[in-house]
Amino acid sequence: MSFQLSIDERQNEARITLSGELDAAAAPQFKDTIEKVASASPKRLVLFMDELAFLASAGLRVLIFARQKMGDVDIYVVGSKGPVLNTLKMSGFHQSVYLQDSYAT
Amino acid sequence: METLIVPASMDNLTSIRNYVKEAASAAGVSDEKLYQLQLAADEIATNIITYGYSGKGGEISVRGEIEDDALTITLEDSGPAFDPRERELPSEEDLSKPLEERAIGGLGIFLAVQGVDRFDYRREGGKNVNALTVFRHSAS
Repeated sequence: MSFQLSIDERQNEARITLSGELDAAAAPQFKDTIEKVASASPKRLVLFMDELAFLASAGLRVLIFARQKMGDVDIYVVGSKGPVLNTLKMSGFHQSVYLQDSYAT
Repeated sequence: METLIVPASMDNLTSIRNYVKEAASAAGVSDEKLYQLQLAADEIATNIITYGYSGKGGEISVRGEIEDDALTITLEDSGPAFDPRERELPSEEDLSKPLEERAIGGLGIFLAVQGVDRFDYRREGGKNVNALTVFRHSAS
């Protein structure tokens, strides 16, 4: 399943919905999107991962990039489950992002 | 299983993961182990493409072997000798660091090595041979 993303920029908040397989081939697209939304200096970055079926380290590195690019932005990871959630936890990312099942719209 | 040979390009990561899926399906391994094996193969292949061949291209061969108790996916490349097991992996301390203090490298091999039941490497005939094994039955 190919990687797809959509952006919803709101005041002080950037929402990105990720779906499909986020591997090293897809990571540059995600990184470009982070760079784009970073220009508005949002206070919150909300990543919806309900439909993300695969997450490789290249995708994790984009999260590190996001943090380093956006400074003290709060990163929310919403709806990640199964092995994707497991990868986030194995890598210790759950200590640096807010993991949530859902997010108020 | 028939060996899959693909040019070392990020565009072929999907083919490699699909090959692993077919092998896992034939071996009857659990979905969880299938995912871990796909992730490990994906990370090792990404490493070969990025560092082994330094983006200059080459070939990666992928072979699935089903044994009584295990499924092994072997990835081979002709890049310079590199034993992923010798790569310094992130420590517990590294993994608990906030993202802004994280080093960029080492996560992929960490996920590959941690995710499978056995990770072997050998240098053979001028090739790197990475063998990723999961046990077929969760009890073993």
